[in-house]
Amino acid sequence: MTLKMIGLTCGIAFGFLLGWARLTDYDVIRDMLLLRHADVFLLMMSAMLTAAIGVRLLRALNVRSVLDHAPIAWTTQSPRRQHVIGGVVFGIGWSLAGTCPGPVAAQLGRGQIAAVFTIIGLLSGILIHDVLRSRGAITSRRAAGEPVAVAGL
Amino acid sequence: MEILTIRAPWYLAGPAIGLLIVLLLWLTNKPLGAMGGYIELDDWVTRRRGDVGWRTIFMVGVIGGGFLSALAAGSRPTLGYGSFDQLFGATVAVRALILVGAGALMGVGGRLAGGCTSGHGLCGTSFGSPASVLCTATFMGTAIGCTFAITWILGLPQ
Repeated sequence: MTLKMIGLTCGIAFGFLLGWARLTDYDVIRDMLLLRHADVFLLMMSAMLTAAIGVRLLRALNVRSVLDHAPIAWTTQSPRRQHVIGGVVFGIGWSLAGTCPGPVAAQLGRGQIAAVFTIIGLLSGILIHDVLRSRGAITSRRAAGEPVAVAGL
Repeated sequence: MEILTIRAPWYLAGPAIGLLIVLLLWLTNKPLGAMGGYIELDDWVTRRRGDVGWRTIFMVGVIGGGFLSALAAGSRPTLGYGSFDQLFGATVAVRALILVGAGALMGVGGRLAGGCTSGHGLCGTSFGSPASVLCTATFMGTAIGCTFAITWILGLPQ
């Protein structure tokens, strides 16, 4: 199994779950953000709780990862200003579009044409950020995966 | 398999997504997230990387998974986008522009924050990353406030 094969398989599972739970529906997200229904919050919290317990079990049992045979580990980041600023900008976009980067791809697969426009915007926004940073207008760290602090609760 | 045709209840889909985070970490030692796929795609298109990244392949999988979920439910392709169409303007062009703008905000913001609702909101928080907890609280609070504000400005019933 290669990393890309695993990525594809897990992606299909993730996309199916997002679609099956209808997190791809504008009104499901809007009703969540208007605090009308608790189910999406419950979904997110149960996902977080399951993952939190599961990954700590893997680590406690000294399990090694299938691909690189390294001990299971992850990095955590210290809070920075860019997390708040980015979070505010992201939150406004999420509210307007009624979808976010994961579910919008599942929307596309479900044949919701609106997703095409949101995805064009997403890809453009990332490029805009990169251009602004290369001109010194933004001084954030480069990427998601780059650890600021290596720890682990 | 009738359960696949209706909407999954949160207590099935939530833990399943949680297990998927565990599975991906066990297989690859890498966190689950969506933003990385778009970033890698941009980097590939602008020749900053030589090949398609695995996170982009992951997102191609998400498109495929979405397709399968529609197949299971028997839903068809649609131009409509729920109540968004009634909320935001009369013409398709206006609605498309709003979506492009909203997407761009998520692109800039998600890039700046280093993650999105999946990467920070689900995965980072479960890993206990303080930055993810702060970021998730910020975009969740902003999105809730913004949605109430839009509803109020447009003069719609709550």
